[in-house]
Amino acid sequence: MEPKIGVFLCNCGGAINNIDFDAAVKKVAKFPGVTCVNLSSDLCLEKGREKMISCIRGENIERVVVAACSPEFQEHIFRKVLEKAGLNDHLLSMANIREQCSWTHDGDVTEKAVELVKMAVNRVRLLQPMEKKELPVNREVLVVGGGFSASNTVLQLSRVGLRTTLLEKEAVLGAGTEELESFYGFDTGSMISAVEVDKNIEVLTSAQMTEVGGKIGDFSVRIRQEGGEILRKYGAIVLATGHQTELALDSEPQLRAEDEAISGLNIVSQEQFCCMLGNSGLETEPKTIGFMFDFSDENSRFTTLATLNNALAAKKKWGSEIYVFCKNVKVDSEGMEKLYREARDCGVVFLKSEAPPRITAENGRVKIEAKDVFLGEDVILACDVLVAEELYLPAEGAENLSSLLSIRRDSKGFFQDENVHLYPVGSEKKGIFFIGGCRGDLDLGRVLTDISSVVMKVHELLSSGKILVELEKVKADPQKCVACLTCIRVCPHGAIQLVRVDGSKEVAEISDLACDACGICAAICPAKAIKFQGYRDEEILAQIEAIQEL
Amino acid sequence: MESKDVLVVGSGISGVASALELANAGVSVYLIEKEAVIGGHSASFCCKATDICSKCSACVVSDKIKEAVIHPQITLLTNSTIKGLGGELGNFHVEIIQQPRYVDEERCIACGLCTEICPTDPKAIYPPFAEATPFSYILDKGRCLRFKGERCDLCRGSCPTKAIGFELKSKERELNVGAIIVATGFDVFDAREKGSLGYGRYPNVLTGLDLEQIFTREGYLRLPTNGKEPRNIAFIQCVGSRDEGHGYCSQVCCKYAMKLAGLIKYQNPDTQVAIFYIDLQTTGKGFAQFYEKYKESVRFVRGVPVEILQTISGELEVRFEDISQGKVCRDNFDLVVLSVGISPGKNSWDLARILGINLADDGFFDKKDSLSCNETNVDGIFLAGTCQGPKDIPDSIAHGIAAASKAMQMLAKSASRRRGN
Repeated sequence: MEPKIGVFLCNCGGAINNIDFDAAVKKVAKFPGVTCVNLSSDLCLEKGREKMISCIRGENIERVVVAACSPEFQEHIFRKVLEKAGLNDHLLSMANIREQCSWTHDGDVTEKAVELVKMAVNRVRLLQPMEKKELPVNREVLVVGGGFSASNTVLQLSRVGLRTTLLEKEAVLGAGTEELESFYGFDTGSMISAVEVDKNIEVLTSAQMTEVGGKIGDFSVRIRQEGGEILRKYGAIVLATGHQTELALDSEPQLRAEDEAISGLNIVSQEQFCCMLGNSGLETEPKTIGFMFDFSDENSRFTTLATLNNALAAKKKWGSEIYVFCKNVKVDSEGMEKLYREARDCGVVFLKSEAPPRITAENGRVKIEAKDVFLGEDVILACDVLVAEELYLPAEGAENLSSLLSIRRDSKGFFQDENVHLYPVGSEKKGIFFIGGCRGDLDLGRVLTDISSVVMKVHELLSSGKILVELEKVKADPQKCVACLTCIRVCPHGAIQLVRVDGSKEVAEISDLACDACGICAAICPAKAIKFQGYRDEEILAQIEAIQEL
Repeated sequence: MESKDVLVVGSGISGVASALELANAGVSVYLIEKEAVIGGHSASFCCKATDICSKCSACVVSDKIKEAVIHPQITLLTNSTIKGLGGELGNFHVEIIQQPRYVDEERCIACGLCTEICPTDPKAIYPPFAEATPFSYILDKGRCLRFKGERCDLCRGSCPTKAIGFELKSKERELNVGAIIVATGFDVFDAREKGSLGYGRYPNVLTGLDLEQIFTREGYLRLPTNGKEPRNIAFIQCVGSRDEGHGYCSQVCCKYAMKLAGLIKYQNPDTQVAIFYIDLQTTGKGFAQFYEKYKESVRFVRGVPVEILQTISGELEVRFEDISQGKVCRDNFDLVVLSVGISPGKNSWDLARILGINLADDGFFDKKDSLSCNETNVDGIFLAGTCQGPKDIPDSIAHGIAAASKAMQMLAKSASRRRGN
């Protein structure tokens, strides 16, 4: 049976003055299915809304068309009106007769307004209601990693009442945090002991994920430990696997040719230099030290920080002459400009050049040649120790993790965030998050921000033990689906899987929990089996037909 | 009385992000804003997309704001400021003073009839900027004849929804909240302070913010003096950052300058663009590739000019040191854009005094210690966004969410401690 459609026109308190509303009402009333047409001047205000509700109830209207301002402006209000009147809020279609009609044209636009209303009427007839339902989720969280950010995350999650498992591949927690501790002056040890005594936190060391299945709210994870394998269920997964650094020397061709000459020289990494600084029994203190950064890797926030800290420490301890070769000093994080100034005030010399310096050996010392842009001259420096440039990379195993969880990585291998504008710590798969060094070159302030914001998001998803979702926003028709797997391949959210129906046929099924309603699958499905509610082909074609008829 | 509600001070993007997170977690939030519209600076930034999105994040702001306005858990108080504070974590008493807005935002339907009929020039009642929320007209007391003692009543008579009222008085109210999130944002550095760069004296010297607003309003760039298309544009970086008075990098200027330069080049590839800089901050995901793309077509000059003079023909002579030649050069441009940085808010000092929180030596609010990102020296008061230090839009959003997280954790902790007692 044809649904009863109610059309509500609004003249916006007289602001729409080039439409002949009386004529429009007469024409609209003749459209098939339209059982009542109302003209109002204040539809969005309380009085107008109440009138709308009583009209919907009184006339038993089943679908609603509102012809008024832009849906951007007031659509949410009209959806609420439908809900209050006892209709599903998806059975509404809006015709924008203000911004896209009255205000865009001079002269009488009644005809266009009627056309827009006709389109909306044709669409609303085909709209389908969408039900909401609360689906249960598992409240436990898996945090992968054992360093500063992972420990901090589990502690904060425990504070909001969520139980967590900390999964570390090494035998102990807190490996590799010494460098950070020395730069920022904090103590990971006390944090790790807090983790160990917290009743909400389970620590699994020497353990690795081997298989991950399921979706947000219900991930099943196979974990391999020394004793064997266990299968666990989690509602969300947080990756805090950190970064590693690698000497950039290997990637420079001119160096490789002279490898032999260089091998015996004192070329060290930042970490090795840290050790030298800590070693009191050094035979000879280096008189001249060279540092290098920002030539091969633009992501040099961390190496810049390491250089400034190490240079200052060396200056204080040994009083050495220090020369820093770089392209740009990356000071776009908290406190860095101050540190940079402090280093210069202490006598550390910064030499900026566009091209990477040439490194050769001379009498057992490292010879650095660079063209300094300020002096406009070649600078040649022979130094006792060269702290070479480091590349900032995701920690080992990131590739493996990304394929296990089927999440993407960027061109440098870091985990790729779903929305760079809005939410840099979420993956494209709902319920999987990443924090700190494994997602990019971050300073401590940004890492701390990452941690707390992930805690908030995880809490929002899992704390109540259920998530409210709209059911079947996007649905695959099992009759039409030919199981070609196209949708499964393109879905960025991992929301589609094959299920067996009627005992034999396998068809695609879209999870309401994991689906983000992006519509890619509906657009690409070769069998046209996937429908995106509100934007189905029929609904779009019906609107086009409306203008062809007139 | 113990309260679990949270007060968010400032409705810029970080304040809105905090409020939304808490509201989604079921907390009742008061969001107060000293201006008539919410959104702060970020709501007025322009889209810098060329044929592809340049990831400036300006577009995400209006959606977030709209979400906050319609959220049932968020009570929005515009035109409001904090007058006093008492109490402690879990039980703060905040005195709020709310100035009347004269146009009822619930009733205003943005029809424009009032502006049409207003007899003053410029108009005393006008629409807010395009993306403003609430999109309710603004009555300017300074221009309105009514507030000058005359009997004009035209706008009120014309308003179809009776949204205008002149008799409204400022209201005082006290809020009882468990925690406070300070998200008061920043002030754009006033380029007039650098007199030698000529801002305010030469009409063709603009700031980055001016350019943002020109692109938002017009969609393209024309010279303020003669309305012609600029042929030769210079961007000057670090104006109000990394200098004597500002011992920090503003973190956003290199990115917005390069993105605006990209947009100008996209609209007209023949326009010459030069960017004068100290160090290019090409960090962050994908930004190095962005720099690679424009490295050839945009002239990057190391070193920041110290003086700009206007020639008789109206061109701007920029004096700078050409490092490659080792001498002082003069180049003429028809438009100069000063990439102004982020300065601490001018009202920070007052707010710090009322709330009892510390200011850092650079003028931003101070964090409790190096291991906290939002906490202040007062338990229960947290910082979000650029009032704590320079941040771009995504960082501000993340910092706002983090502040919400910390507020929620602290309220949960204090509640469980009380239960334990």
